[in-house]
Amino acid sequence: MSDYLFIQSQDPFTEVRTEHQFALAGQLYDAGHNVRLLLVQNGVTPAHKGARSVHFDKLLKWGVPVLADNFSLKQRQILEKDLKENIASSSLDTVIDALLDGEKVIWN
Amino acid sequence: MSNSKTLTFAFMDPPFESERTVTFFRLLDAALEKNANVRVFAYEGAVALSFSKQAPHGNAVHGLNREEESHPLSKDWVAALQQKATDKGLTFEWINCGLCVDERGVNDVIDGCGRGGPPDLWRYASKAFNTLTIGTR
Repeated sequence: MSDYLFIQSQDPFTEVRTEHQFALAGQLYDAGHNVRLLLVQNGVTPAHKGARSVHFDKLLKWGVPVLADNFSLKQRQILEKDLKENIASSSLDTVIDALLDGEKVIWN
Repeated sequence: MSNSKTLTFAFMDPPFESERTVTFFRLLDAALEKNANVRVFAYEGAVALSFSKQAPHGNAVHGLNREEESHPLSKDWVAALQQKATDKGLTFEWINCGLCVDERGVNDVIDGCGRGGPPDLWRYASKAFNTLTIGTR
């Protein structure tokens, strides 16, 4: 079992490849690996309440831990109360902690 | 070399173009905050991040002169991170891909940034505790 942190910088509304990125994260999670997503830049947009992204929402439904970069949220005027349930705001420290813990950190 | 863990970052975005550049520098700063030694392999457009002849400019549309505009330069961010690492007793190494430098004519870089090639990325990644590659999408 491996630990994965996906840094998701692309959003599903303008980048069709995110469908496959979310699918990979889901498949790894389904296979029993520890998988987390950190949303950064435009990657935070599907975290907004009311935003509909079938593949992203499926990950949330499955219970994949999802964090959103607070700086990226602030830039886009998305408040923490605007986030979907089970999404917490975080800082980029999450990335460094994961790297220093030996996790597999992948930039999308 | 301090006893801290070393993290390698590979980055290929040029300055002044992408939000990724800001995120990349935030990551480097966060790594130093966490007392990690940092190694950067810059390739493709990222070799211009440390170009010493970057110059600030004013903003006529906003009626601001050069000082008022205070345009951020990536070479200054690199220098600030170098200084931060020194202050914390950490190492901060930066290598630009030489072929990428020659293509773009950005040979003049700030002190502390070197010239190399793909073998350096291999060396950096092999000897680092962990590596993050931030590819251009």
